[in-house]
Amino acid sequence: MKLSKLVSLAAVALVAPSLLFAKLQVVTSTEDLAAIAREIGKDKIDVTAIAKGYQDPHFVDPKPSYLLKLGRADLLIIVGMELEVGWLPPLLQNARNTKILPGNPGYLDASEGCHILQKPTGTVDRSMGDVHPFGNPHYWTDPENGRAIARRISEKLSELDGAHAAEFAASLKQFEETLSAKERKWNAIAATFKGVKVITYHNSWPNFAQTYGLDIVNHVEPKPGIPPSPAHVQDLIKEIKRDKIPLLLIEPYFDEKLPQKIAEETGAKMLLFPPSVGGVKEIKTYFDLFDYDLSLLKKSLNP
Amino acid sequence: MRLKFSFLLLLFTGLPLVVRAADPASVGLPATSPYAAVPQRGEGASALQASNSMNPNISVVGWFQGMTGHPHDPGHEPEPVLQLKETELGLQSIVDPWARGDFFVSFDQDGAANLEEGYITWFHLPGNLGLRTGKFRSYFGPFNRTHPHDTAFATRPLAEKNFLGEDGLAGTGGGLSWQVPNPWVFINVDGEILRPPAVSDTPSFDRAQRRDLLYIGRINSYVDLTDEQNLSFGGSFADGPSGEELNTLGTSSDTLHTQLYALDLTYRWKNPARAIYRSVIWQNEILWSKHELSSIDTVQSWGLMSWLQFQFAQRWATGGRYDFSQFATDNGTHEYGGLVFITYSPSEFSHISLQGSHVKRSDGLDENLGFLRVIFNIGPHGAHPF
Repeated sequence: MKLSKLVSLAAVALVAPSLLFAKLQVVTSTEDLAAIAREIGKDKIDVTAIAKGYQDPHFVDPKPSYLLKLGRADLLIIVGMELEVGWLPPLLQNARNTKILPGNPGYLDASEGCHILQKPTGTVDRSMGDVHPFGNPHYWTDPENGRAIARRISEKLSELDGAHAAEFAASLKQFEETLSAKERKWNAIAATFKGVKVITYHNSWPNFAQTYGLDIVNHVEPKPGIPPSPAHVQDLIKEIKRDKIPLLLIEPYFDEKLPQKIAEETGAKMLLFPPSVGGVKEIKTYFDLFDYDLSLLKKSLNP
Repeated sequence: MRLKFSFLLLLFTGLPLVVRAADPASVGLPATSPYAAVPQRGEGASALQASNSMNPNISVVGWFQGMTGHPHDPGHEPEPVLQLKETELGLQSIVDPWARGDFFVSFDQDGAANLEEGYITWFHLPGNLGLRTGKFRSYFGPFNRTHPHDTAFATRPLAEKNFLGEDGLAGTGGGLSWQVPNPWVFINVDGEILRPPAVSDTPSFDRAQRRDLLYIGRINSYVDLTDEQNLSFGGSFADGPSGEELNTLGTSSDTLHTQLYALDLTYRWKNPARAIYRSVIWQNEILWSKHELSSIDTVQSWGLMSWLQFQFAQRWATGGRYDFSQFATDNGTHEYGGLVFITYSPSEFSHISLQGSHVKRSDGLDENLGFLRVIFNIGPHGAHPF
């Protein structure tokens, strides 16, 4: 066989499989979106999350190594609502991948179609801290928003890879059935502590609180992104004692020393309460997130 | 012929990707911004005026500085005790579906305006290329690219000042950036062609003859050592005019040249699970210069800087810098020194810093200065380069 034929065959052997059996390359901004995408895409997609579940998704370094992933992505899924505004723009600018820019087929803002809370109605400025002008971006903590996200991802994957549309639809059906069954279980757990007053570190939980009947009365941060002042801590201590608030919920990426001190002084219980898949090693799927958090609340309030 | 066929086969199997990347219209790029720091949601146009949603993002950075001590920097006017050292107005927006535009106008303490940068950038050209043209800070090392108010320091590092100028190396021209396509490691190659700066701005170069240009090249890379640690490193090169010399007959003049070389290494540490509380940046840069004073006299000189910043709490950081530098036109003398700082940041948009610096000047005299530096920023928060 001549050298040129060998080269031709090698080229076909190298290129053809990648064209015929190539998996869609999906990059998500957070692990929660990656977890839902995996439920829908299963083995037909490769998924990479940029922000890990144990990271504060507002503060992620736009490392050049992420450019390698974004540069070959077929689909980018973001939380939106300006959650990623501090780090995603320079990555998108430099990824040299037009497919995943807003408005193009490879871009999906998962917030579209979701139930968004706390949309500011008046003027927004930085005297209010790191407020998000379009609403609270931590909306994935409502499983019905998880359902909406899964539907959008299924539609998008089918649009990009029509050959596997039936499989994506079947995965979505399975996801929704599992979610519905889980929701019945989660609602039953939540009924045991409905209306309980809690304090959270950051304003990450309005959707979760609305769904499961938690009453968030204050935050350790006086305003979003602003560290607690001594005066605010004293106010919190008085409020917890006065209103007998039993729980402080702390996202794992915040320093728990101060909340622990507040808990010790007031008798409240402090829980490390992960808002994302991967926040602790036990939470590997979107369903695990609610299983873990709700059972943690139940154990803490009904020992 | 058969080899040609193999090449064509490869070309055509890869062609769809090239075509999609090359023709943004074919993939329906939007008129709205993928890049803007703040999404553009307008109120809608009225019969009397167009929608505000297409206005650029506007930001202003103020840099107030108070100084104590006795400045002694031969050849430089001492700075005032109190000054609004710089006010920078930034206007940034998407130009069209293919490019964005950035303008930065700075005002000095006397209110004199200077177009610091103004350029258009096409980010998504075929072949992993990006292109910008206009006036911009050269990517001659990571420090030069950083706007002075975005650095941690009240003073410019000695080597940066002595070779690249008080405001850094910038010019009008074009730059091409190429990301080496591979799935394993980030490598970027940059090439720039600029109109040379005047010697009053950048001691290494000068505008000799109209046709003379400044050529700059850079290669840089980045590796994650662990989830918490990473390294950036690169090498830069610049070649441009540094003056002119009459030929022996006195009928014409020849351009003299400077070649500048630099190596840089940046180490970063940050635990992602505690990203807002602790971090370390350690950046080092060394520069060499070959500067022609005449056709028979070349000065070879060098300088370096090394700085470390340790963020020890959510709103607090401290650090220091070491400087050593000869001069572009003089390697018989040098100056060296250091600076220490502690900075409190009430938010990401304001920083209050106390700093102290010591420099042993080239004439042997000591300069000891203290600074109060306040940086504040209004407008949309543009993400900084990594």
